Amino acid sequence: MLAAGEGRRVGHDSNKVLLPLAGRRVFTWAIRWARELSTVAHTVLVIREQDRETVMATLAREVEPPSVTVVVGGDSRHGSEWAALQALAPLIESDQVDVVVIHDAARPLASTALFRDVIAAAWEHGGAIPAMTMSGLVPLDATAGMTNHEVAAVQTPQAFLAEPLLDAYRRADDDGFVGTDTASCIERYTDVSIRAVPSDARNIKITFPEDLFLAERLLARADFDLSGSTEPVHHRWPHLRDLLRRGETP
Amino acid sequence: MNIAHAELSCETCETVTEHEMHYAGRLLESVRCTVCGQHMELSQRVLVPAYVHDLEQRVISKPSRLWHRATKDPVGFLRGLPMAVLRQPVKFFKEFRSLIDR
Repeated sequence: MLAAGEGRRVGHDSNKVLLPLAGRRVFTWAIRWARELSTVAHTVLVIREQDRETVMATLAREVEPPSVTVVVGGDSRHGSEWAALQALAPLIESDQVDVVVIHDAARPLASTALFRDVIAAAWEHGGAIPAMTMSGLVPLDATAGMTNHEVAAVQTPQAFLAEPLLDAYRRADDDGFVGTDTASCIERYTDVSIRAVPSDARNIKITFPEDLFLAERLLARADFDLSGSTEPVHHRWPHLRDLLRRGETP
Repeated sequence: MNIAHAELSCETCETVTEHEMHYAGRLLESVRCTVCGQHMELSQRVLVPAYVHDLEQRVISKPSRLWHRATKDPVGFLRGLPMAVLRQPVKFFKEFRSLIDR
């Protein structure tokens, strides 16, 4: 779980993944949805050193056992991924971890179903990335007309077989290669096949202020439950809005 | 009214800037870019039903949250409970007032 930010500015100390979102910090929502799966056995959280105190207090308050391993990230996304893989290396080498899922903590609405789908696809094919088809795009060159190619936005969580992933990052470290995302490093150093998995429109990344409003509303519409459980906790009681309803609903 | 700060992208500044977030209870009420002043907020018409829905979820999930804290640190939980109970009326009064005063 990458929560170290992108380091575009120096000196700021207000990380968006530490913001409150519907009663929890942004970064603990996705941990919650991922850990609904019994196959998710270990969680590594990559942070900035200056966030450590807040992160540790938040984990104690909001995240159930088993405990989360916390490591400090690098200067880039690639460096943060490498830090996480180094923490997982003993478990990978002893065959305790088969698949590694890399997720951006700024995507708090990645559902349990999406985690399940990418893990299953990675287990079968080697690697899996969630993709969302983008329609209605036009090129900047107005004379070129509408694009005929289907374009997709790639998101996280991205899942890969653990051994080739670790091997790719070790070789990248030896070469001094810095990839833009996990898939770029895998493609450069391995022949692992990467499959696209249909994503969920709710899997937004907190980037602009309006994304916070949207994330809050999407969580509320899902009754604060993206686990896919057939009987969410709050469905055992009637909603206040239902009790207050008057007359026939059109 | 709780206030938080974070780096977010500002469409006006076209870069990542410090933003100030204002919360009514745990619900985001408004966001302002501290560089250009660009401001956005939920309208009263949307905020009040959203607050009621959120309050409902807070009430429903309260027993499990209390249980979680009590089992994790029973002594600390019991020690902090009286003050936590006494703080609730003031907390809710401030939340309701921030909703009405907008």
